[in-house]
Amino acid sequence: MIMPQLNISIIGRNQAAESIFTLLKHNYFESASLNNDSQLAHAELIIETENLERHEKINNLKRIDGLGSQGATILSSTLQWTATEVASWLTHPERLVGFGAFADVGQSQLIEIAPGLQTEPQHLQLAKDQLKLMGKEIEMVEDEAGLVYPRILSLIINEAIFALAEGTASAEDIDNAMKKGTNYPDGPLEWAEKVGIDNVYAVLNGLYRQLGEERYRPASLLRKLVYAGWTGRASGKGLYYYEQQRLNHSSNYQNV
Amino acid sequence: MEGVNKVAVIGSGTMGAGIAQVAIQNGYSSILYDIDQQQLAKAKAQVFKRLERLVEKGRILDEESIQAKEKLMVTTDLKSLEKVDLVIEAAPEKLDIKKSIFHQLNDICSPETLFATNTSSLSITEIAGYIQDPSRLAGFHFFNPAPLMPLVEIVQGISTNQDTINRLKDFAEKIHKYPVVCQDTPGFIVNRVARPFYNEALRIMNDQVASVEQIDRIMKKAGGFKMGPFELQDLIGIDINLATTRTVYSSFYGENRFRPHYYQERMVQAGRLGRKTEGGFYDYASAEH
Repeated sequence: MIMPQLNISIIGRNQAAESIFTLLKHNYFESASLNNDSQLAHAELIIETENLERHEKINNLKRIDGLGSQGATILSSTLQWTATEVASWLTHPERLVGFGAFADVGQSQLIEIAPGLQTEPQHLQLAKDQLKLMGKEIEMVEDEAGLVYPRILSLIINEAIFALAEGTASAEDIDNAMKKGTNYPDGPLEWAEKVGIDNVYAVLNGLYRQLGEERYRPASLLRKLVYAGWTGRASGKGLYYYEQQRLNHSSNYQNV
Repeated sequence: MEGVNKVAVIGSGTMGAGIAQVAIQNGYSSILYDIDQQQLAKAKAQVFKRLERLVEKGRILDEESIQAKEKLMVTTDLKSLEKVDLVIEAAPEKLDIKKSIFHQLNDICSPETLFATNTSSLSITEIAGYIQDPSRLAGFHFFNPAPLMPLVEIVQGISTNQDTINRLKDFAEKIHKYPVVCQDTPGFIVNRVARPFYNEALRIMNDQVASVEQIDRIMKKAGGFKMGPFELQDLIGIDINLATTRTVYSSFYGENRFRPHYYQERMVQAGRLGRKTEGGFYDYASAEH
């Protein structure tokens, strides 16, 4: 059976949204739109990508609820909240499916999706079919903040940031140790800059709140980087910039 | 201060033999020491066999293999380490063994000798206290298998001086390893930062968020890891992996992030240790995995 490409609208002001938009254009989804309210009513699949601000996410969902067709399937990123919680903000929660969306989601070979408790099978099927048309492999996992890859990677990155903040080693040595000592494809600190330091923070924050355990506590430095807007490649500043600043500062203070 | 010319390696287990091989292949006369004569003979034969295999595979010339072999000496007498510039200790991970070795070496070697320990789990600062001048000792942590893995963690104890670190960095580069420098903290860099890769995967699996197979596929295809966390535990040995986690956890005095998962312990209790027992998270007995 040949699956038709549906009319897709993307809502979200972040790299994940742009990355998916690029992917759709690349796969000839001609009618795809990005943050275009006038297109929402025609969309059969709406992809929503806010990971950081809860009120922003709620606003996105309310907008989709108001302007979009009530029958449209919604694929919403669930790094910080479960699909079940995000779905609860909708008039018709059964049409929402969660998915994992780091900044580089468009480039990855595989995407994880997770139905909420309320999700009905036809919406899950539609989301799967359209992701396949975008050239993605799919794994369906249970609904928990951060799913699998964003969760495990965020914990690795958090540990690397703890080590950096404690002065265990330089950023470069931490990254190289993980690449050369255990064959990681990227060092955790450079990886954080690629997927978005704010997204890593979102996953940890979500797990910390959902599961209430000390092990998910974001490193203090990670929080500070988010407040400073040093969230990685998107902003041009991240962990390496932080380290350089710290070195400059300490030599400046010595001169005072 | 002069560089390193002559090296000694203490302990002829897998790690010690591997380190000695790296040293002689890079032109360093090396003495391999062990208390056990038989183990020493076995280690020497192993190193020679590996060198010969490298010749067969065309990785090194026959001449190079012969030269390397000539540079290896073995001994059960610690006193023959009198004239070495660098001692790399790779004895079993027991403090009393290391203490006794360094106490003796302190009297045997010259005050210029550089001391290094290949420990992966013990405190460098504590071991440095076994020699009179603790500024001369640092951690020098290789990864298994030592001849193949490019990384060495150079670990600075509280008393280790910068000159010791610099000389070990220089030596690491001469033997074609990639050195990183870190402070004397539990698990150093790699064993610490890698913990969540295994621990969180176990947690996700046990909480029924995703299966073993799914988690491995996701980490490889979404994350680009070469192996998934469960495949890798099977390769390393689930018992070895659990032991490392336990050590890091207790060295951090019970920091929640490092708490081992009971399911991993169940696997060990069941004797399912991974590839070496033909079964761990996957089965290896009948079919090729």
